[in-house]
Amino acid sequence: MADLVTLPDSASAIAAAVRRGSVSARTVTEIALARIEALDPKLNCYTQVMAQRARREADAVDAKVAAGVDPGPLAGVPFGVKDNYDVAGRVTTAGSIVNRRLPPAARNAVLLERLTRAGAVLTGTHNMDEYAYGFTTENAHYGATRNPHDPARSAGGSSGGSAAAVAAGLCSFALGTDTNGSIRVPSSFCGVFGLKPTFGRLPRTGTFPFVHDLDHLGPFAASTADLAAAYDVIQGYDPGDHACADIPPSPVALHLGQAWDGKAAVLDGWFDDLADEQGRRAVGIVADALGARGRINLAGAERARAAAFVLTSASAGNLHLEALRSQADDFDPATRDRMLAGPLLPANFVLQAQREREAFRVEVAAAFAHHALLIAPATPCSAIRLGQATIRVAGADLPARPNIGLLTQPLSFVGLPVVTVPVRNGPMPIGVQLIAPPWREDLALRAAAHLERTGICETNPC
Amino acid sequence: MPLTEKEVRLLAALQNIEIAPGHMPGVIRNLAVLLDQAALLFDPASDLLLEPAPVFRP
Repeated sequence: MADLVTLPDSASAIAAAVRRGSVSARTVTEIALARIEALDPKLNCYTQVMAQRARREADAVDAKVAAGVDPGPLAGVPFGVKDNYDVAGRVTTAGSIVNRRLPPAARNAVLLERLTRAGAVLTGTHNMDEYAYGFTTENAHYGATRNPHDPARSAGGSSGGSAAAVAAGLCSFALGTDTNGSIRVPSSFCGVFGLKPTFGRLPRTGTFPFVHDLDHLGPFAASTADLAAAYDVIQGYDPGDHACADIPPSPVALHLGQAWDGKAAVLDGWFDDLADEQGRRAVGIVADALGARGRINLAGAERARAAAFVLTSASAGNLHLEALRSQADDFDPATRDRMLAGPLLPANFVLQAQREREAFRVEVAAAFAHHALLIAPATPCSAIRLGQATIRVAGADLPARPNIGLLTQPLSFVGLPVVTVPVRNGPMPIGVQLIAPPWREDLALRAAAHLERTGICETNPC
Repeated sequence: MPLTEKEVRLLAALQNIEIAPGHMPGVIRNLAVLLDQAALLFDPASDLLLEPAPVFRP
């Protein structure tokens, strides 16, 4: 990979250079496309490379620069989106072949539209687990995405193509989705930064749903500055998503330089018991750097995870019921049997799972009464091998695919904002979750920036 | 108590789903996992007065 021309090291460096005319957006785009052409056949991050569209968008940016028109804060920055974001004129596969029956998207997803307006250049769509129901991006239809740090290993999922593309330098940032951990797990496995904002912060208009009341969108990047730059552009209300909060954007990029002086605590119990030694050490390193003193046990975490697990299966089965009745053979076997089981759950269990959310929300709110940030490992282990059937968790061998999200599921269940930061304290990186109170993404991003400045957390080049 | 194929077929029939024989072992396995997880929510059952509805406050 070192023989290839690499992208400038940050999105802001690219945008600054394009804006002042010292490099063209077209040149940056050609570098990105060349890297994708050379590396993606091995990694399989992309389900579709959109070279023509990328060149057209880059040329439009260059034309603005030549005409003295502001090309936007992300001028010429190459990015990609998970294949459950609508791209106008294209069928949104959501990692499935069942969706081939759908018409092409009439419009771009709202977040994609905002990024294009800001001058960013779409390079293509990224691979994922079918319908986002998985944590490994081993897709029976589109193949497995390989981890750029070790191609024999998984990139994590379900937004594995997006995280791996950023880790391999195929694009400067990417957009993914996170229902139970699908941004945080691949961030951990691929060693990049990922942000899952507060539920309701970013509009999901123009994305393919998985579980309506758990779905979040968010960015991946190789640095907190790039993460914040993308996040600032995509914030803002849109009436097309009825769960989107009608609140003004809270830009964070300009505040990343502020010293971290918040009160942080480490999550104990469930989050410590189910981590491996590398994950525990990573949490310790991060906690020391943030001056975290206390330990907090969220006693309801196991039940919250169980409730999220139940609701996910029931909701996914409900969403795809018609296709499960008529074309079950077209589903990826890894998701089909889970989806078929969901609608068979008695309503009593689903109702109980909904009650559990309020109980856990109250418990978490009490923890934030005295702390600005909570710290926990993102995954029970670093990247597993492709095809690995089980993972070792707290002395037991558990099926890998459904259990890689054990540490992320309770937190998305109550919609908390989380930044996952990469720690390289073993042969493979592992992620640590920085969990903030609702609507305080700025706190998690400031803490992440502090960790990056002190050299604790960084994305290592592949 | 392990789930039987007959029980799963009855539940599926209520949803008008016909499960192919080849899919049945996977569905039984996954439904069993789901029921194990759901059982945690009744051990003990959470407060029945907990409010799951969206609540608007002025």
